[in-house]
Amino acid sequence: MNQAPVSCIPASKMSKAKKVIDEAKEIQNPELDLADKSISSFDEMPGLFNMLNITRLTLSHNKIQVVPPGLANLVNLEILNFFNNQIEELPTSLSSMPKLRILNVGMNRLDCLPRGFGAFPVLEVLDLTYNNLNETTLPGNFFMMETLRALYLGDNDFEFLPPEVGQLKNLQILVLRENDLIELPKEVGDLNRLRELHIQGNRLTILPPEIGNLDLVSSKSVLKMENNPWVTPIADQLSLGVPHVMDYIRTETYRFLYNRHIAAKGPVPPKMNDKTRKLSRARQQS
Amino acid sequence: MPGIDMSLDNMFCSRCGDGFEPHEKIVNSNGELWHTQCFVCAQCFRPFPEGIFYEFEGRKYCEHDFHVLFAPCCGKCGEFVIGRVIKAMNANWHPRCFRCQMCDKELADLGFIRNQGRALCHECNAKAKAVDLGKYVCHKCHGLIDDKPLRFRGEVYHPYHFNCTACGVELNSDAREVRSRPGFAANEMNELYCLRCHDKMGIPICGACRRPIEERVVTALGKHWHVEHFVCAKCEKPFLGHRHYEKKGLAYCETHYHQLFGNLCFVCNQVIAGDVFTAMNKAWCVHHFACSVCDQKMNQKTKFYEFDLKPVCKKCYEKFPSELKRRLRKAHEQTPKKMPL
Ligand SMILES: [Zn+2]
Ligand SMILES: [Zn+2]
Ligand SMILES: [Zn+2]
Ligand SMILES: [Zn+2]
Ligand SMILES: [Zn+2]
Ligand SMILES: [Zn+2]
Ligand SMILES: [Zn+2]
Ligand SMILES: [Zn+2]
Repeated sequence: MNQAPVSCIPASKMSKAKKVIDEAKEIQNPELDLADKSISSFDEMPGLFNMLNITRLTLSHNKIQVVPPGLANLVNLEILNFFNNQIEELPTSLSSMPKLRILNVGMNRLDCLPRGFGAFPVLEVLDLTYNNLNETTLPGNFFMMETLRALYLGDNDFEFLPPEVGQLKNLQILVLRENDLIELPKEVGDLNRLRELHIQGNRLTILPPEIGNLDLVSSKSVLKMENNPWVTPIADQLSLGVPHVMDYIRTETYRFLYNRHIAAKGPVPPKMNDKTRKLSRARQQS
Repeated sequence: MPGIDMSLDNMFCSRCGDGFEPHEKIVNSNGELWHTQCFVCAQCFRPFPEGIFYEFEGRKYCEHDFHVLFAPCCGKCGEFVIGRVIKAMNANWHPRCFRCQMCDKELADLGFIRNQGRALCHECNAKAKAVDLGKYVCHKCHGLIDDKPLRFRGEVYHPYHFNCTACGVELNSDAREVRSRPGFAANEMNELYCLRCHDKMGIPICGACRRPIEERVVTALGKHWHVEHFVCAKCEKPFLGHRHYEKKGLAYCETHYHQLFGNLCFVCNQVIAGDVFTAMNKAWCVHHFACSVCDQKMNQKTKFYEFDLKPVCKKCYEKFPSELKRRLRKAHEQTPKKMPL
């Protein structure tokens, strides 16, 4: 990864992608920058699957709809970036890529993930921001990705987070911004390496007291929790600052309030986010 | 032994002195005659089992009573001691039963020393005394070692019993034991060198324990280490070949490096050796500080936006759908903190 990425040379739109690929081949560049090249199909990148030396492939801001399973041939790939395409489905084969550490499929049109998706051997950062995913469309082994240190699920449709999230022992960053979360599982409190938790813009009223186990107020930690219909005592503490919330949910008083709240099963707050205009909802005319 | 009916008149029982009736059975033992009822143990008055008797001061005893009356009992096994008796420590012993109470050596012919109610051989006595004094006993001369001992082939010695294998100088406790054929298991291959010759041989010394390294050498932080002595400065667990991270002359495991210094690159997850970019609760190495959307490199001067605490270049941010930009702007206005927007 010491070589500079290939810069884009202005050329006719038709051959943009091909030109970058040919040039990378010539100088043996292991990092391929194909962002914003109007690519709508892998057919426009002939020979790509034979470039076994490449370690990074960036395809952000294109119009790719289909990811062919053969992409998994690129066994040295460490970083794969599909941000802002039109992908509705991913091939299972991606999960077998032996060196893939960072996968960015943010801002696509994913309604679900393939079976067995959680089999990545060394995946560290998974970005699924701004898709149409929820707890019912995750594969069974999703939380088996023990090597994961950052999971980005902001701008999706989760109402509940499966308790298996507690298995992600190495997770340092968990983003659930602007979903439809009604509650957080107490297992989030098991993620003892977590130093960034984004839960702003959901339908949360209370926090499991186990969240108090986490260190989310040190100088290297972040807890974002605004824009939720919090119960009054939490809202009051939040107006003073996140450290006050963390102190409060560690008290016996709060534990009592929490248990009573759970037992009472109050009404579920309505959905707060209007998603009809989300780009991820757009569909090809068929 | 059977009865004799001739000249009974001048034959008398050795025990009771009476004569013998005709036809009476007479016991003859070494020329002395007895009534059968008189040829009995002087102690229990019963006939001798299987005719075996022991004589002491003119009296005859059955085996049992002879032992009870005259033979000593062994202080260890409790059996009678017939034959050689070892009298020691206020008791009697079979020679095979009188042993050193530390090393179990037979002491009958070696002699022994009484040490706190125990019978010990000379060597063990010396060791016991040394232990009491917090000292060692030389494996060669069995004398106490007053100064520092020399360890060699698993034993301790006075250093002056040995000479340097290379220069022949009489050794002191600084001498080094060297495995002369590395990897060869036999202890007997080891040899001793004085410190000067040892240093000239270039055998690496462990930076932790200051002893020579004869197996695998780890070289790090400008020093050599035994594999098991190269440890995390925080948790003291050996790296055993796992990646370590250096800071100010100390080595750390990944967990503790991260905990203490926190600048692992967000992209490559490696310790940042050169310049560090820190922003949004994260750090990046020079190679990896880039737009999280298009992976284009950025520098200190590049204007970027924050999206879920990741950097997004201006070009990419402008491509975001307007409904998202509107939400981000609104959220940004609500947050009290200053953001690089
Ligand atoms: Zn008797
Ligand atoms: Zn005995
Ligand atoms: Zn000696
Ligand atoms: Zn010497
Ligand atoms: Zn050592
Ligand atoms: Zn450590
Ligand atoms: Zn890096
Ligand atoms: Zn960008």
